[in-house]
Formats: sequence, C-alpha cells, structure tokens
Amino acid sequence: MDFYYGLAQIIGVHTLLGLSAYMVLLTGQVSLAQAGFAAVGAYVAAMLTVLAGMHLFPALLIAGIAAATIACAVGFPALRVRGLMLVIATLAFGEAVRLFFFNFDYQIAKGEVRVGPLGGEGFRQIRYFPENGWTTFEVMLLIWAIVAMVMAALWWMDRSRTGAVLRAVGEDELAAQSVGINLTAVKVSAMAAGGFIAGLSGGIYAHYTTHIEHANFGVVLATFAIAYPILGGLSSVFGTVIAVVFIQGVLIEGLRFMGDWRNLLFGALIVLAMNLRPHGLLDPRSLAMLRRLVGRA
Amino acid sequence: MIDLAQSIVDGVLFGTTYAVIGIGFTLIFGVMHKINMSFAAASIAGAYSGLLVFLLWKTAPPIVVFATSAALAGLIGYAIYLLCFRFIPIASPLATLMSTVGMLLLVDEIIVHLTAGMPLSYPAIYDGYPIELGQLILRVDLLLVFLVCLVAMAVLLYLLYRTRLGIATRAVAQQPVAAQLCGIRLTQVNAITFVMTGTLGGIAGAMIGASVGVLSPLLSLPLTVKGLIVTVIGGLGSIPGAIVAGLLVGAFENVFQMWRGVTERDMYVMLLLFAFLVFRPGGLFRIAGARD
Amino acid sequence: MLALDGIAKHFGGIRAVDDLALTVAKGEILGLIGPNGSGKSTTVNLICGLYPVTAGRITLDGRDITDLPTHRRLSEGIARTFQNIRLFGGLTVWQNLWVAQNAPAHRKERGYLARWLGGSKQAREETGRLLDFAGLAHRKDELAANLAFGEQRRLELARALATRPSLLLLDEPAAGMNAEEIAALDERIRELKRQGYTIVLIEHHMELVMAVSDRVCVLNFGRKIAEGTAAEVQADPAVRQAYLGTA
Repeated sequence: MDFYYGLAQIIGVHTLLGLSAYMVLLTGQVSLAQAGFAAVGAYVAAMLTVLAGMHLFPALLIAGIAAATIACAVGFPALRVRGLMLVIATLAFGEAVRLFFFNFDYQIAKGEVRVGPLGGEGFRQIRYFPENGWTTFEVMLLIWAIVAMVMAALWWMDRSRTGAVLRAVGEDELAAQSVGINLTAVKVSAMAAGGFIAGLSGGIYAHYTTHIEHANFGVVLATFAIAYPILGGLSSVFGTVIAVVFIQGVLIEGLRFMGDWRNLLFGALIVLAMNLRPHGLLDPRSLAMLRRLVGRA
Repeated sequence: MIDLAQSIVDGVLFGTTYAVIGIGFTLIFGVMHKINMSFAAASIAGAYSGLLVFLLWKTAPPIVVFATSAALAGLIGYAIYLLCFRFIPIASPLATLMSTVGMLLLVDEIIVHLTAGMPLSYPAIYDGYPIELGQLILRVDLLLVFLVCLVAMAVLLYLLYRTRLGIATRAVAQQPVAAQLCGIRLTQVNAITFVMTGTLGGIAGAMIGASVGVLSPLLSLPLTVKGLIVTVIGGLGSIPGAIVAGLLVGAFENVFQMWRGVTERDMYVMLLLFAFLVFRPGGLFRIAGARD
Repeated sequence: MLALDGIAKHFGGIRAVDDLALTVAKGEILGLIGPNGSGKSTTVNLICGLYPVTAGRITLDGRDITDLPTHRRLSEGIARTFQNIRLFGGLTVWQNLWVAQNAPAHRKERGYLARWLGGSKQAREETGRLLDFAGLAHRKDELAANLAFGEQRRLELARALATRPSLLLLDEPAAGMNAEEIAALDERIRELKRQGYTIVLIEHHMELVMAVSDRVCVLNFGRKIAEGTAAEVQADPAVRQAYLGTA
C-alpha cells in the first residue's frame, strides 16, 4: 500500500508544480524557471524546519513567500522580453538558481551530526515527518489537502474576472493594454502566484524525500512543469491534473516493467501527443463535449 | 596577466563551437519563428553517429568521422523537422516548443540507451605539440576547431547570401506569405533549413567531441543552455550576433572558470545573460525592421 | 478636449508623423483621412500611447498625457478599435466586454474585493446594454474567435465602449465591410455622437467620412495638408493633388 501512497505523493507534488506553470501560462508566458522556484521553496522550507526547528506549516508558508518574492524579481526584467526570449531567460534563471544551490554551503552542528545544505552533496536528513511520527498515509493526505486547496483557488479564479483578465493578456497583450489592463501588474502577479505555488511544491517535496540536491531541480523538472499544463490544455485546471496522472502514474510508474525503454517512450510520447493534439489532451472542444455529456446525465 | 590572456584565447577558440550552435538556433528562429530546443542534443547525436564509421572501417582517419557526423546530423535535422514541425499547425507555438523539448529528451535517451550511458572517446583533431607564442600557448587542436568552425560559418554565409537557395531561405524568413506567392515552396525551404543547420550542428558537435576527447549525453543540456544564451545575447535571428556572442561567451566562461572554478562559472554566464536582458533586451545586433 | 501640439514620430530616418497639430472639440466627430502611409495609424498609436512620441505634447482636457502608459490613458477616457481586429479570441463575447471594464468608476463600483472576484450587478447590466447596442446579445457565450467578421467589428467597438471612454479612436472601422454594413456603421456612429461621445474616425471610405464627420483633417507624409468641413476639404487643391498625384 505504501507504494501507492508514495505514488500519490509524487503525483500531488507534480500537480502543484504543473499548476504553478499553468498560472503563468494563462498570461501567455512560458516559464522554465518553475523548477528554480521549487528549489528555492525546498531549500528554504527544509532549512527552517531542520536548522531553525520551525513547525512545517509556517515553514511552508514562508517558503512559498520566498519563492514568490524571487519570482517577482524575475518577473520584472522578464517583462522586457516576451515569447521565445522569455523561455530562454527563464531557462537561464532556473539554471542559475540550481547552480547557486550547487555552490551553497550552510551547515550547523546539531547533536553529533552536522546538518544543512552542503553544495553538490545536497541537503540530507530532512527528517521532519519521521521525527514527528507522520505516517506515509498522513503525509499523502496533507499533500492532497494542499493540492485541493490550490486547485480550488485556481478554479475559482478561472471563473472570476481575474481569470478572464489573465487570459486576455495571454491572448493579445496589445489589445489588453488598449482596454486599460496594466500588463506589468498582471504579468508580475501571475509570476508571483506561480512562484508561490512552485515554492509550496518544493517545500513539501523536500520533506517527503528527506534529501534534496541541486540536480533534482534541473531543466528536466522545469520541462515537466510546463509539459503538464501544455499537454493537459489550458482550458481548465483539471487538464493539468489529468496530464500529471497520465505522465507520472501511467507513463513513469505504469511502464516500469519496460525498464530503460520507458524513458525513451516518454520523449516520443510528448512528440506524438503534440502532433496529434496540439491544443492539449483536454482542449476546448473536448471540454465542451464533456460538459454536454455531464449536462445530459 | 598572462593567465588571463591565456584563458581568453582558449575561451575564444572554444567559443566558436558555441557560435556555430547559436547560429543553428538563430537560423531556425529566423526562418520559422520557432525555437528548436532539440538542436544541441541533435548536434551531439550527430557527433555520436559519426562514430558509426568505426563499425565499417576500423582505422578510419578522424576527418572521415567528422564528415560522417556532419552528414548524419543533417539527416537527424530533417527527421526533427518532420516529427516536430511539419505537421503541427503554425498557430500552435506551444505545441512545437513542447514537441522539440520532448525530442530533446528522446534524443538524449536514445544516446544513453545505445551507449549504456558510458562516455565514448572521440578522435582528436590533432595530437601533436602546442604552438608557443612567447608565453602564450596555443592549443593546436583548439585552433583547428576554430578554423573548421570558421570555414563552416563562411560556407553557410555564402550559401545564404550568394545562392538562389539561400535567397529563398531569407525571403521566407522575411516575408513568408510573399515568398510563397513568388513560387517558393515553404515546406521545402523549411526542410532545407533544418538539414543545413543540422549539418552545421553536426560539425559543431564533432568539434566539441574532438576538443574534449570524449562524447557524453551529459554534454547536450549545458550545450542547449549555452547555445540559447548565445542566441539571445547575439539577438534572436541575427547570424553575426550569434558569432560574436559565441566568442564572447566562450571567453567569458573561461575567464570565470579560472577565477571562480568550474562549478561556479556557469552562474556568471547566466548573470551576463541577465545583464543583457535588462540593459539590452534586443541583443548585440537588434534585427532592423522589428519595430512593432 | 484632445489637443496634439507639434507631435512627431520618427522611425529611424522615416518621419511617420511630423510636427502635427490637431484639436478635437468635445462632442464632435473628426475625420482623419489621407493616402496610405500618410501617418494616420501612427497618429492613433501616439494618441493611445502604443508608441512614445519623438517630440511634442498631447493633452486631454488640459491635462498632459504625453508620458502616460497606454493603460493609464484609458482611465483618462481614451479608447480605440484596431484596423485589423484584435479581440481576445479565446474568451467569450461577454468576457471580452467584462475584462474591458477598467475605468476608475468601474473599480470604485466593484469595491476592493469584488474587483478580483467578479463583477458588480451594475457592470453586468452595462455589458448587457453594450451587447444590445452591438446586436450581439444572442451570441454572448460564443468564443470571440468564432464570430463572423462583421460581428467581430461590432464586438470590438462594444469592447472599446465598455471602458467608459469619453474619446473614441476608430481606426478604419469600415475596412472590409459591404455597403449594407457600412450604412449600419454610419447609423451607429451617429448614435454614439448623440450619446455624447467624441470620436476620431480614421477611414479610407470617403463617403462615410464625409457623411458623418463634423470636421475633416487630411494628412500626407505625416503632415496636415488641409482641415475644414467635408465640402471645404473636397474643394482643396492640395488634397486633390495628394490623392490624385500631380495631375
């Protein structure tokens, strides 16, 4: 059973990461920095619980705020560039964050062992859950409670005027400006909100794996983050969840029996999916169809 | 002081490979207004495929390996065009971006799979003594890498500016609709661009392999990031920009490698990129006519 | 109400607009015409702030708006439509109007929280009125991208009105329309004037401009070559020369 709880934890954390990219993608910005924001959240949260002995919840909150602050700082210069330039700029930023943690040492003695991040070695012994007697099941529940909250918030936002404004910016920046939308405010807020969610996902990730290192937060994770909402489609938050379950559950876990070939298949399936469904698995057409089906039932 | 000069020289020489990779990114962007994220990985894959020669001809001289790398990389470029660009609607830029990222992962995995993840040794371009210029030591292999890349770039520029094919390519880059109305077949020009940049990438991949001495799938991600940085610093779509930026980044990273060590150097390259984004977002060579 | 004072816009060596002075009085319709490339669209872009001016001053009701960013000019009461329609295609017709409600008055009505959460009742009534005006009430839940060309033009006009402007810049609203649609547009513009809007109309379709404009201003090579009533401008030799060449 623990295997499935573990899988549910992975899916939960990746869903959060995917939602953080979804938030930013709504405004038409493709950000490859989400893994970097997650890294900030992971290190900050872990340092707070391990080094400062803080409770997990405030630590997560602070981690999210730290990541959001960093995201704001990226958001401003990134505003000057758009489209593919932004992809590259955020990619480079994500890498810069990763390299920062690759070179980041901050250890203190705790009892007879030294704990804290140690450069390329990473940050070991993030033992908040075992020390406080959380079972895998409880950890999974916590993760999904957070996922549910974030999803509910985003789903609600999508239906509010804010959601429409974000999408308007994503559709046509010039026209959005011409109807009085403040581009800077909208794009930076979206970046910050995305950063907050990514920071949360990083903070939780650090605690359930107990060991993080810079290599966890590389380009591959950043790619996953934007792959979920793009594969799932931007019509609804549920597309992202479906994509995460599909990729993490079906492709990565379900195909474990294929051994090495599984990784090959992953890239190939992305290519195939984009050729067959360029607007995502859950595109507006299929969404409308689903609504009709549900409406009839 | 001499150390600084030495690292700048080495960096500039190696920087030509970045320049060539940057040209590949920039050229595809110029023609299709899309980024091919898998380009650097495909270049490394091209270099790998050059090693296939050894299966047929055990004692093949390096030059044959390099030529095979370039040719097969051209083929890989065409395959990528078919798989990631040809059938995805122009109006879905996200889909193309995503599929080339998928392709990047796929290419890497194929290499890992076929080589069992072990680095393979790659023939050196020259293994004699270095040239000494006073206190400055010139690595002849790097010098040859520099020359090969220069020649490759010169040939590309000749093709682009002096042949009918090249003019068609540039016409498509500037006015796709008008170019089609003049009877230029868009898909054909796009395909040729991919073969051309693929070949160029193969040469860069081969030269990287030749100067490092080994090929490893671990090369492709950093090369992707470096290539993209070069493209941005040079100005998206600008070939001279990519050349200058490639040399600049090569020198810059080598100097910081000397000062701050190999683990930190790339962080400074990112800072350089950010400086450009903030102070000169159009890159070194802003493309004229992009005023809207 | 709007005054351009010696504004200029140079793109490299090209003087798209050069030393242009123009005033628009409250409640009038000013027709802005000129051959292709005479600087009409650039002028609109300068007024709504998409390009910074190279020189000169723009004032609205006496306030200097030369350096305000686009979205701030809108809260001063300037709205526009685009020559090549720019709707939010992925949003519904109704949402296109909803996101345009950014006037200071809207913000006040919505209150602080509701500003993020949804629209006030008043705002909903307002979009309903605009949908009726544009004849799109029956298509309010359709995606804007799925509308027919004429409907898109009407929606864009409604979207501009949704920002509660006092000054409307219409950039070639009749482009691509047939005679019947132009007649309807003519009626719609007159209706807007009756409601008290000030309008700058940029148009190639001479009959429309001459019919609805109170005053017409003719540009050529970024300069004003004539100004006056429709009849005066039509009789002006400089205008004839600009349109017909040196004959």
